[in-house]
Amino acid sequence: MKILVIEDEVKTAKFLKRGLSEAGYVIDVAADGLEGLHLAQEVDFDLVILDVMLPVLDGWQVLARLRETEQKALVLMLTARDAVHERVRGFELGADDYLVKPFAFSELLARVRSLLRRSTPRPQDAIRMADLEIDLLRHRATRAGQKLELTSKEFTLLTLLARRAGEVLSRTLIAESVWDMNFDSDTNVVDVNVRRLRSKVDDPFPVKLIHTVRGAGYVFEAEP
Amino acid sequence: MSSKPSRSAWPALPPRRTLAFRLSAAYSLAGLLLVILATASLYIVLRTELDRSTELFLADKLHVLRTMLRERPDDEDALREEIELESQARRYQQFYIRLLDEHGVPIMTTPGMTEQLDLAELVGRTSSRSERSIAMAGRHGQPFRITGATVAVGTPATHSDTVQIAIDVSQEEELLARYRLWFWGILLVTSILFPLVGYRIARHGIRPVEEIAATARRITSTNLRERIASQGYPLELESLAGTFNEMLGRLEESFERISRFTADIAHDLRTPVNNIRGEAEVALARSRTVDEYRDVLESSLEESVRLSELIGDLLFLARAESPLTELHRESVNIGELLTTVRDYYEASATDAAISLVVNDGTERFNAQLDRSLMLRAVSNLVSNAIAHTPPGGTVTLAATNEDAAIRIEVFDTGVGIPAEALPRVFDRFFRVDPSRSKSSGGTGLGLAIVQSILTLHGGSAEITSHLGRGTRVMLRMPAPAIATR
Repeated sequence: MKILVIEDEVKTAKFLKRGLSEAGYVIDVAADGLEGLHLAQEVDFDLVILDVMLPVLDGWQVLARLRETEQKALVLMLTARDAVHERVRGFELGADDYLVKPFAFSELLARVRSLLRRSTPRPQDAIRMADLEIDLLRHRATRAGQKLELTSKEFTLLTLLARRAGEVLSRTLIAESVWDMNFDSDTNVVDVNVRRLRSKVDDPFPVKLIHTVRGAGYVFEAEP
Repeated sequence: MSSKPSRSAWPALPPRRTLAFRLSAAYSLAGLLLVILATASLYIVLRTELDRSTELFLADKLHVLRTMLRERPDDEDALREEIELESQARRYQQFYIRLLDEHGVPIMTTPGMTEQLDLAELVGRTSSRSERSIAMAGRHGQPFRITGATVAVGTPATHSDTVQIAIDVSQEEELLARYRLWFWGILLVTSILFPLVGYRIARHGIRPVEEIAATARRITSTNLRERIASQGYPLELESLAGTFNEMLGRLEESFERISRFTADIAHDLRTPVNNIRGEAEVALARSRTVDEYRDVLESSLEESVRLSELIGDLLFLARAESPLTELHRESVNIGELLTTVRDYYEASATDAAISLVVNDGTERFNAQLDRSLMLRAVSNLVSNAIAHTPPGGTVTLAATNEDAAIRIEVFDTGVGIPAEALPRVFDRFFRVDPSRSKSSGGTGLGLAIVQSILTLHGGSAEITSHLGRGTRVMLRMPAPAIATR
């Protein structure tokens, strides 16, 4: 998977390149709009991560010209402005997703993954991880054969974590996916909910599945 | 008409634009008009009165002669006295009489008449219009009024004579001329005097306005404390000065609030930045273990998240104040919205041993509003309520559908807010208890955000509280609710 990052801020470009490379993507970086546009027209990228504020050509111009050509690359816009009309404009010009600075890298990675996911995940009936089993049809979870008494929201939260095992999920993303709280809400509420879920899913068992990534969010994986 | 004031109150403006000029011009014009009206009407009255007395005199003379000729046509002495001597005796008002027989031959004439008047012209003028006085000039240009009449002689009349009377009216004309001179004199004096006096009066009246302006010019952001001393001003200007002072008061207050806000922002930004910087510097001072490095990085990430949230909130507030901000209104079921918030906070409430309930009385109805913003507003209220309610308490969410307005309420049985703090709770960064919010991680912007969300919806947020008994926040907004089945 090839990704082009068009970003003039050196440090931002640097951490994007590093983080995305470590996540298994091939990254090219362009420092201004024109250079980025040329690169995107010469090489077939799967995704272009495009900053709005760019020298020479700004992000909007790059996006418009990209959409004029045969380029099929997906575009993820990065901007420091989250005014709604900006967002709308981005989608009108053919952006596929939109992220506001400052963003959590885990959030960016999650969006990149969902954009590049070739096929929609086939509907599963059950998820298994270590001795945890989630029955998605009957809305039941068991661990080591014991039924876990979960509220419906706890079940949804557990399912979300388990479906995206190995990904760091930010508190904002969790609040949005489980409780439909689509704004930067009071995220320590997420901590409380995860802690309660843990007390039922992890505490009674030796193998811990839900892990805190300090400052970033939560990740679901069986301890090695 | 009126003179331009040489000294203008505002040199930058053309004098025609100054209030003093306009006022004095108006005074002068009005005054002059009055003077012209008064003197002109007096003149007209005088003139008509003089004319009338001349007419009466002529009619009188004619009547006397007519009577004499009818009753005693043979009394020549009497006639002669009347015609030749009566006029002679007068000094100022000269008049002349001629009596002609039916053939137009003069019988009697007042002496000197022939040299004063062109008699042929007199005959010509009076023949056509009898018994009406007409103006005519004498041989020396002096003004006369003349009249002529045919008079029956004897009783019964044997024949008719003609009487012609001319009266010298130069006295009256001179009087009128003197009057006219006075008239122009008065006009000249008043046209000079009025603008001067008017301008003085206007300037005097406007001085307070200039003082207000001077004060306004002096005031900058650094001395908003200054006020206009309005003692001794006329009532209207005193109210202007008062209004101005009130405006200054409001400005000063806003300014102080903004200054405080800026200082608060700086302080709230300083803390996390200081932590990131200090921890990184200390970490780099010598080589550390991997775990120590990790700890520093994680801590700096936490601080960055704090900063991001704070910046997000500040941007939200700034955007909410911009008139360009638009709401994305959609049909939202209020009951469901409250339930969503309840579900989200339920775990936190359970942890704090507080029951969080949506009121049974809450109607299920839809309203047109911006869902995510309203969600945020209600969440902020619930978050505050849970934070300030001791274990065993209750936090209740309720919604009512009033006519053309909806009301969402969040009330708790918590510690309450002291009365003196109540007016300021919606201010940015205002914390009732500065020490506690730091630990709970609030930015101190929650209620300010609630208020701006309600303002965006054209509504309002109100708060009532009793210490030790609880707090109630009411969100009201005009939104035509759509009842759901």
